[in-house]
Amino acid sequence: MSVPVDSLPPIRWPDRPRSSYDVVIVGGGGHGLSTAYYLATRHQLTNVAVLEADYIVSGNTGRNTTIIRANYGLPEAIRFYQHSLEMYRDLEQEIGAAILHQTRGIVWTAHTETAMRTERARCLVNTACGARTVMISPAELKDVVPQIDLAGGGRYPVLGASHHLDGATARHDRVAWGYAAGASQRGVDILQHTPVTGLVHAGDRVAGVQTPGGPIAAGVVLSAVGGRVTALAAHAGVRLPIRTHPLHAFVTNNYAQELGSIVASTELVCYVSQTERGQMLIGAEFDAQPSYSRQSSFSALRAYAYKMTKLLPFLRELRILRSWAGICDISTDFSPIMGETGVDGFLVTTGWGTWGFKAIPAGGEAMAELIATGRAPALIEPFRLDRFARDHLVADHGSAGTR
Amino acid sequence: MTDPISDTPAGAAASRIVVDGRPLVFEPGDSVAVAILRAGEVPASGGTLCLAGDCGNCLAQVDGVAYIRTCQTAARAGLSVVRHPTHGLPPLPVVATSDPTASPGGRDIAVRRRVVDVVVVGGGSSGRAAAAAATASGQSVVVLDSADGVEVVAAYAGPLVVARTRDGMLQVQASEVVVATGAAEIHPVCPGNELAGLLTAGAAAQLHAAGISVPGAVAIGTVPEGVPCSRLDGRLVRFEGGDGRVTAVVTADTESGTEIRTPCSTVILGLGHAPRDLLGRMSDQMPLTVVGAAAIEYPLPPPPTEGVVCPCSGTTVGDLEVAWAKGFGELELLKRASFAGLGTCQGGACLPHVRSWIAARTGESPAPFTARPAARQITLAEAAADTYVDAFRRTPLHDEHLALGARMDRFGSWWRPWRYGDPVAEYWAVREAVSLGDVSTLGKLVVSGPDVVEALERLYPCRVADIKVGRSRYALLLNERGHVMDDGMILREGETRFVLTFTSSGAANAEMWVRDWIDRWGLRVHMLDRTMSLAAINVTGPLAASLLRRAGLSDPPRFLGHLRADVAGVPCHVMRLSFTGEASFELHHPVDRAVELWRGLLELGKGMGIRPHGLEALQGLRLEKGHVIIGMDTELDSTPRRLGMDWAVRMDKAWFVGRTSLERTSKLPDERRLRGFTMSGPAPVEGSPIWTGGEIVGHVTGSWSSPILGKVVLLGWQKRTPFVDRVEIEGREALVASTPFYDPEGHRARA
Repeated sequence: MSVPVDSLPPIRWPDRPRSSYDVVIVGGGGHGLSTAYYLATRHQLTNVAVLEADYIVSGNTGRNTTIIRANYGLPEAIRFYQHSLEMYRDLEQEIGAAILHQTRGIVWTAHTETAMRTERARCLVNTACGARTVMISPAELKDVVPQIDLAGGGRYPVLGASHHLDGATARHDRVAWGYAAGASQRGVDILQHTPVTGLVHAGDRVAGVQTPGGPIAAGVVLSAVGGRVTALAAHAGVRLPIRTHPLHAFVTNNYAQELGSIVASTELVCYVSQTERGQMLIGAEFDAQPSYSRQSSFSALRAYAYKMTKLLPFLRELRILRSWAGICDISTDFSPIMGETGVDGFLVTTGWGTWGFKAIPAGGEAMAELIATGRAPALIEPFRLDRFARDHLVADHGSAGTR
Repeated sequence: MTDPISDTPAGAAASRIVVDGRPLVFEPGDSVAVAILRAGEVPASGGTLCLAGDCGNCLAQVDGVAYIRTCQTAARAGLSVVRHPTHGLPPLPVVATSDPTASPGGRDIAVRRRVVDVVVVGGGSSGRAAAAAATASGQSVVVLDSADGVEVVAAYAGPLVVARTRDGMLQVQASEVVVATGAAEIHPVCPGNELAGLLTAGAAAQLHAAGISVPGAVAIGTVPEGVPCSRLDGRLVRFEGGDGRVTAVVTADTESGTEIRTPCSTVILGLGHAPRDLLGRMSDQMPLTVVGAAAIEYPLPPPPTEGVVCPCSGTTVGDLEVAWAKGFGELELLKRASFAGLGTCQGGACLPHVRSWIAARTGESPAPFTARPAARQITLAEAAADTYVDAFRRTPLHDEHLALGARMDRFGSWWRPWRYGDPVAEYWAVREAVSLGDVSTLGKLVVSGPDVVEALERLYPCRVADIKVGRSRYALLLNERGHVMDDGMILREGETRFVLTFTSSGAANAEMWVRDWIDRWGLRVHMLDRTMSLAAINVTGPLAASLLRRAGLSDPPRFLGHLRADVAGVPCHVMRLSFTGEASFELHHPVDRAVELWRGLLELGKGMGIRPHGLEALQGLRLEKGHVIIGMDTELDSTPRRLGMDWAVRMDKAWFVGRTSLERTSKLPDERRLRGFTMSGPAPVEGSPIWTGGEIVGHVTGSWSSPILGKVVLLGWQKRTPFVDRVEIEGREALVASTPFYDPEGHRARA
């Protein structure tokens, strides 16, 4: 076994923060780092800092199940995620770093008439919006995933499935490190272990952040925080329609590459893919109970193991290597919130719930454009915060977990 | 070499394990690893063996499960070992189908549960002392000891300690966890440390005690007592070998640095210890104490300069250097960049070395990285053992549906009949004769008390006070945002007594919703959820009233009326309403009489063309009436206005839940509408996009080729203004049409 350290992208770290930046991004996860990268590369804005409370990629970017897909239920979401999916395909060239991207396809199995209705609808609206998703029969599914038990353990017989042909995976931390390297080499300061404890106000506007090392002035503050975003936004006087819920995941040991496709089930609400290292990576739906806890839960592990083995019996004999949890910001309509907040100098990219990883390229690109030009690209217009006040939700059940 | 068969006692045939297809004799008390070493072989390809579960150097496939620590697995007659491939990874096991009759997870894995005051992990001296102290103070204690074949998987919040034992899984719920897991031995990191023939001092002592001699052994560092070997002085430099086995060790004089090469076939390494504190590092949020050697801050080994540092992932010291130079300059980043510590042993072998290596660069030894379950591993089958998460409710008529040949489907957490045969025949039975539908799944809540009218006036957007006793009203249930959550009927049974019904999917939430609001308001209202105690049968069709008369109900209620009466000898709350568009009577009755009533009605209906209808026919029937199904046609932000149901909201009421929001949102531009459409040709797939001028403006939520209307009727969203009357669906023209499509005046429902 060899460890691919040679392809790690080199990251430049500053000794200390400057006293002032044009843009301060709070949160050194995928979205914060990709926004910094596109500010530097597309808009030549390099007087930018990314502040991370812990080490970079310590949050949900490094904890998610790395699935890239666009098979959502609403046109607004499909178009946005499809753009991101397409950016991912070229990302290695763009950032000049290996991200271990693999297009594998995703099958979404249906076990009830209601689920079949959902999958048929998904295929139609995906196709209409440029994402490739087709219905397949149980026999066709067996060709794609020979390991599947079409009887679903007797309880979850497979009636059919949607097949999202362009579904993919990539190594999560490599994606974020690649952006970090690209941004830092162009002059962006990435500061780890720099928690933001408050905001600096100048009249009605936000003009910087408070840190234990002192205030840092900023022309624009972007919150790309995951997990405690409501607390940060409250410092700006912004109330976000978000609750934070834990989400659990686990991996098995490494096995020979044999599971080609990503497998997900609408009804069982869990999903599995085989990583580039050969592990089975399994996740499910976020906990119903809001919490900031990242403690693993045995009841979640039991439930996921039970469900996934119904569909893929071979998983029974695989050993669980490691389990963990992330904390997901879930908006009231299960869609992200990107853009202005009504407070000058304070922007957010949040509500990334369980679907943030796949949106890292498109989310960062769009936020960078908004910061640099003052205009939000059309692709993210539907995800403005004021949609809640306008009663124009982007209520996409397709965004949550595997729904 | 002795003949294993003639040399072993009676029952000898049983005392063999099979390793890569060859039988190996084992002795009582042998672990699988020890049995393999007894035969002069190695359990895996190489690396230092600790025989204490701290590394991944003895992993093999045991009885079909890969990545088993053979040193922690007792040898058992017939046990099958397949070594992992030297290059590449173990293959996925082939398990073709789940047997529905097997226990969850597929194998019969016993799960035992214990509740104690204190759980002590580790049966060494400090573990025994902790257990004795707790016992002396009157606490109940359980000790989990690896010597008994117990592998502790994790300590979860609770605290809940999960362990794998020789005969299944063990879950211990405790008030306190004591981690007394002792110390692990330091593995050597230097060139050649992947060779076979390397043993920790503890492993050598274990083999010696088991009567296994290690010929040609040299020892470095602390020598295990009584183990024959020659001790080498100086600093370990490298191992040399051939064919994957060590043949010499090179040491350097600590003073002069002069290297000395010593030929050998085994090297015993007493390089010191590190705390075995993985369980202690899993959580800081529980009453957990680490005691004894596991709590000792041992000195770190000297920083490694060359060789494999993480045997599980194959990370070398050179890999650490590359990653560090690229900016991955702290423990957590270095771990993720180099994979050191991400393997089966979770840093058991590499963590002290990586910390020491970092300390040499920064002058500060970093705190150990976090630990996560599983400290010791389990299969998914073991995790899933004794788990049932797929309970779906059945109505009392479930077996009746099966007997009638129904295809059952899960819908809103219930098993319900999807169709009995031909759904169109079921449809015609409703439209032209009489049909039965099982609506036991509806939510049913009895509310009563002096403040009940006040409570319902606040909960519902419609008027409640003017519903007369014996009458009912259709009602929407709104949330604070003014979005439709659920719908159902409000039936008045007395001045201060009502029955509320809710949708099958929404019932559980609605019950909590009503209860929470009433509690918050402090109103005097009693609530009784009868969803599970009452079954309900919908008798629907033009002949429904005649059937009820045959069943002894001489004077069925008129439309929106309800009464209590015996039907076919069963006491029922008879409610006259209509979802199908025909005269309909819902018979709510005790669940234990449901089968009797169902069979009685089918018997009485013979000759009337009676047949039951399933959900599929029902969805077409309701669509012809334009009735909305909450959750199928509605979205999270569906206001009554967007659903065309403003008639169900009385804004002239002073207040109700959702009114404040509706007041505000009713002034916003009206840009979303659920509308009725008709078209010719085949029915489009539900979910189809609705197009206008090449743009998607919404989607179809319900689609049905109406047998009686001879055209397709649809419900769907238009989310672009101006709302046009002509759209395209599946490339064909569809026209907006007012609903109901069928019997718009509602004569038939009232007949």
